Amino acid sequence: MADDVRQRTDDELAALLRRRQDLARPAPADLSSLAARASTRASVQRAVDSLDLAHLQVLEAAVAATSPLDTTAVGTLLGVTPSEIEALLDDLWTLALLWGSPEGLRVTRTVVEVLPHPAGLGPRAADTFVDIPPTDTIPALLADAPAAARAILDRLTWGPPLAVLPPGTPERLATGARWLLEHHLVFSPSADQLVLPREVALALREGRSHAAPALQPPGLEGQTRAAAEVDAAAGQQVTDLLALVDELAAEWGLRPPRVLRSGGLAVRDLKRLASVLDVDEARAAFVAELTYAAGLLADDGSLDPSWAPTPAYDEWQQHPGDQRWAVLARAWLLTTRAPHLVGTTPAGASGTVNALGPDAHWPPARGLRRDVLDQLAAAPVGLAPDRARVGTALGWHRPRRVPASLDTVVAAVLGEAEWLGVTGRGAISSAGRALLAGRSDAELAAAMQPHLPEPIEHVLLQADLTAIAPGPLAGGLATFMRLVADVESRGGATVYRFNQDSVRRCLDAGWSVDQVLGALTDASHTPVPQPLDYLIRDVARRHGQARVGAMRAYIRCDDEATLGAMIADRELSPLQLRNIAPTILVSPVAAETVLDFLRENGFAPAAETPDGGIIVPTAGQHRTPLQRRPAPITAQAVDDELVTTMVGALRAGEEAAAYQREEVASRPGPSLPSTDPTTTLAVLRDAAADRQSVWLGYSDADGRVLRILFYPERVEGGRVHGTADGAARTLSIHRVTGAVQG
Amino acid sequence: MPDGPLIVQSDKTLLLEVDHPRAEEARRAIAPFAELERAPEHIHTYRVTPLGLWNARAAGHDAEQVVNALITFSRYAVPHALLVDVADTMDRYGRLTLEKDPEHGLVLRTTDRPVLEEVLRHKKIKPLIGERIDADRVIVHPSERGHLKQELLKVGWPAEDEAGYVDGEAHAIDLDNKDWSLRPYQQQAVDGFWHGGSGVVVLPCGAGKTLVGAGAMAVAKATTLILVTNTVSARQWRDELLKRTSLTDEEIGEYSGARKEIRPVTIATYQVLTTRRKGVYTHLDLLDARDWGLIIYDEVHLLPAPIFRMTADLQARRRLGLTATLVREDGREADVFSLIGPKRYDAPWKDIEAQGYIAPADCVEVRVTLPDADRLAYAVAEPEDRYRLSSCSPVKNPVVERIVAQHKGEPTLVIGQYLDQLAELSERLNADVITGETPVAQRQKLFQAFRVGEISLLVVSKVANFSIDLPEASVAIQVSGTFGSRQEEAQRLGRVLRPKGDGRTAHFYTVVSRDTVDAEFAAHRQRFLAEQGYAYRIVDADDVDATA
Repeated sequence: MADDVRQRTDDELAALLRRRQDLARPAPADLSSLAARASTRASVQRAVDSLDLAHLQVLEAAVAATSPLDTTAVGTLLGVTPSEIEALLDDLWTLALLWGSPEGLRVTRTVVEVLPHPAGLGPRAADTFVDIPPTDTIPALLADAPAAARAILDRLTWGPPLAVLPPGTPERLATGARWLLEHHLVFSPSADQLVLPREVALALREGRSHAAPALQPPGLEGQTRAAAEVDAAAGQQVTDLLALVDELAAEWGLRPPRVLRSGGLAVRDLKRLASVLDVDEARAAFVAELTYAAGLLADDGSLDPSWAPTPAYDEWQQHPGDQRWAVLARAWLLTTRAPHLVGTTPAGASGTVNALGPDAHWPPARGLRRDVLDQLAAAPVGLAPDRARVGTALGWHRPRRVPASLDTVVAAVLGEAEWLGVTGRGAISSAGRALLAGRSDAELAAAMQPHLPEPIEHVLLQADLTAIAPGPLAGGLATFMRLVADVESRGGATVYRFNQDSVRRCLDAGWSVDQVLGALTDASHTPVPQPLDYLIRDVARRHGQARVGAMRAYIRCDDEATLGAMIADRELSPLQLRNIAPTILVSPVAAETVLDFLRENGFAPAAETPDGGIIVPTAGQHRTPLQRRPAPITAQAVDDELVTTMVGALRAGEEAAAYQREEVASRPGPSLPSTDPTTTLAVLRDAAADRQSVWLGYSDADGRVLRILFYPERVEGGRVHGTADGAARTLSIHRVTGAVQG
Repeated sequence: MPDGPLIVQSDKTLLLEVDHPRAEEARRAIAPFAELERAPEHIHTYRVTPLGLWNARAAGHDAEQVVNALITFSRYAVPHALLVDVADTMDRYGRLTLEKDPEHGLVLRTTDRPVLEEVLRHKKIKPLIGERIDADRVIVHPSERGHLKQELLKVGWPAEDEAGYVDGEAHAIDLDNKDWSLRPYQQQAVDGFWHGGSGVVVLPCGAGKTLVGAGAMAVAKATTLILVTNTVSARQWRDELLKRTSLTDEEIGEYSGARKEIRPVTIATYQVLTTRRKGVYTHLDLLDARDWGLIIYDEVHLLPAPIFRMTADLQARRRLGLTATLVREDGREADVFSLIGPKRYDAPWKDIEAQGYIAPADCVEVRVTLPDADRLAYAVAEPEDRYRLSSCSPVKNPVVERIVAQHKGEPTLVIGQYLDQLAELSERLNADVITGETPVAQRQKLFQAFRVGEISLLVVSKVANFSIDLPEASVAIQVSGTFGSRQEEAQRLGRVLRPKGDGRTAHFYTVVSRDTVDAEFAAHRQRFLAEQGYAYRIVDADDVDATA
């Protein structure tokens, strides 16, 4: 193989490195090491995994065929003419999964390891040294086979070639298996296994390696949509999406949800978001994840963290719709987050996946998303392929890398692409194509721009206290309308409803009543309806009527002159006294300080409790509340009863100790001190070298220390091998408590 | 981008820009399947609901027409999901058909076997269904016809009822067309109903629903049972029928608390039908007393629940529902659909007003400020007492007096909920008061006096909400109501909407206490008015004189 690699032209080597990029990192020193690396198992595995079904099937047929390869034979295995597979074989050679020997193409040896059962075929009979009947006699043999034997063969023929017949297999099957073994149609590598040799399988398959060779990619089928319709639908989705993102930001800007301790968004908050956006939870999760992926939303990083829009959102919001879309679309294409996982329960986990949480991060998402979109992009213009077809096509392109959840992923990607306007009514939109072609943001925006409705700068105000924007509103007006009214219905147009709460919200945000009415008059072609005008003025009438603030102390006094003197007193200026009613002053300074200051300056204030009572001063006589002390523990006196019991116990202990001493004395061999491992090792090594025995203290699996007379033979890897009681044993050194030469 | 008058929202509402040149065309295209929800000045909101779509199916429209109408008139791309949903929903109607089989009687037939299998397994539907005839048909006992339709609608597979109707006992009824004729829209309503077999006609108050009923009777030419809300309304039906048709006094019977006559045309009140003694409906026999050929339900939106249950057993008779609104405060629109029938005719108020059949109205909300003592009392009141406290505030009385004085000489109604308040008002205004306790004879005497102009001011309780013909009332002042009932607002507005002899503008005043639940409920009702396209103004009590 090294020779083959050395003989490749520069272009061929470049192709190899391009297609198996792992070979180039780190750069191999020379061509021999390139060849060596190309045949490592990890690299070959990677190369085989990235093959499409056509290449994989040809490679499997090549592995099943005899070496060196005969193109005709490989073709026969696949049931095609040699010309159909030549290009594929050539490709496999470029990938260095095949190599050219002087006799012809051969399969790289590692490939055989990676594909142990190519196309579900078992090992060759010749390799496993078993006899099989001549292949041309097999059909005749099978004519006499019992039904059970046929059934077993039918199961094994198209692989996997291995059958397990556990004890307790029904007698009928066992008889069938016996018949097959007797006639050498299968062999049995162990007591309960049957293996179908490759030659027999091929004979049963009538010389074919694959039941369904698929050398051509499956076509996508589905409904065809007019290009204009596709782009219009995409535009409509984008309008919706941008409105949803704005609404999310408006909602979370006001009421940011908490970040869970494990990261992510609480299920309850997601539900609330879904109801605010008036979409289902899957879509709400998508909008949140997308906004997060685009950097428009983040954990605010505070001590009690919450999710809130970032400054990037404010900047983003100022751009026209097409540019805003470009930012979102690109973020989606590159993100490794998988919104469709939100709400599912991953295998082995107890809880569900939270939106914005660590579990919704799924690196394969990006690759799979790209693969799905590439399938769509490869389809004819305007084709909206069936979801199942996309799954099948994806399976053909990556047969060995199909995730178990392929259908879910395909459905999720197609759904998200639709929400994002990358597709419209299932077919890829022109802007979606631009996205996949890796165009610049400006080009992306330009592709989407014609399909988005022109932003408008007016609303229609109606007497039922609604305002209708018959199209997407320009940035500033949209923000104002969302502030002053609640969104009631969304789509091409937006319906806003004014109510007391929404108007109050606007006034709370610092707008004055004249500003609000002015802004509405400017935004509307018609005069502000009387009921709306009345509502706003009515809310404003009461807005701020009552004021709430926090202070740390108040001074009340029925004599206004005294209070006037306090405000005028310069010495009291550090108290920052303020008059909030003729008889009340307030101060942001603590009450004790205020008291002290006033007393120092000749006033005679009394302190007041929160419920208005007078605090009677207890100056100089501080008391602390009673503290509970633990009662002292006293010992009981030693009485007769205790003494009698104790003496009995002492006697019994003494007897036991004597017995133990006696037993130790009766043991064979010396007493065993505890020795440290280094010493133990030295003792054991010496004994092994001198072929002498040692007494060992050995702690067994139950923690008991056994005394063993041991004949060590060699010490290695932390173990000592030798014999004890005539049986070979291997002991771990770390379990030896002590060793003494015997 | 096409410049249509319609904007299709993702929440299945349709916004129609009324000033758009193609607005009328679009309105006609979407009217069959979308319910008009709000009709304020610039943009009308329609809603697409499954019931609306099935109404359209029942009227012979198909999904393609609906989708086409949406796409043709839409300004922006129509959300695809909505189109799919429309097609799916409409497709559900008519998969199941109730029909008459010469051999087996009433059968349920399907064009889609899985649907039949699905509904047959439903635990509420199973008991309503008899033996299976073949793969596509099952026997239905005629008495379960109504219940089955109700349940099928609940599971989303509404059945088309093609089992037909009994003709009933024939009885000659003709319209007495000497000096009047049905207005075009009334004729359309009668035709729409007769063509569909059974169903509901939606017309605003004052648009002549009684005449639609009479028209339907003249087409049916069969004995008729008319169910109305109360005795006064029953008398009014009787007078109208005597005046407008060939029926004579002997042919029309009244079946109410006072009288129990069963004649070829019998007018019964809901109340007498739903009277129970010891848990048994004592007057149920009325429904089978004759072989009725037509049953008319007045004010369908008020139909009490027991009547629904009785109606379920009357599915073989032709049923005509008359109402001003399909909106029911209890949300039982689906029962109206399945038991009485789909909507057969509907005209927006404003259109009929524009045709000059009902009077234009000027709606004014007058806000009074409670004196400080009352505000305090209100603040400490139990929540359940607050409405009464705020709506009955005596501070309203002088305001009412001022409004009455302003419209001196015009026929004026003062409408309220609470009897004490009404009594006090009647005393201050020196006017007669009519409440539920007023004997029927006295009521009719007063109404008659009001009608001929002998008296120009009446104080009435909610008995006046329904079906009393007070043709010359041109000013209504409401001082309190049944909380925020939109339906009541529609009824009360209806009081002043009858066409005036001299084309005067009707006035509709609501007096509410500022900053209380009274104002909140009023806002509810006003929203309804604004949505119906009636501009209203809010004025402070001090400015009342300026409203004239």
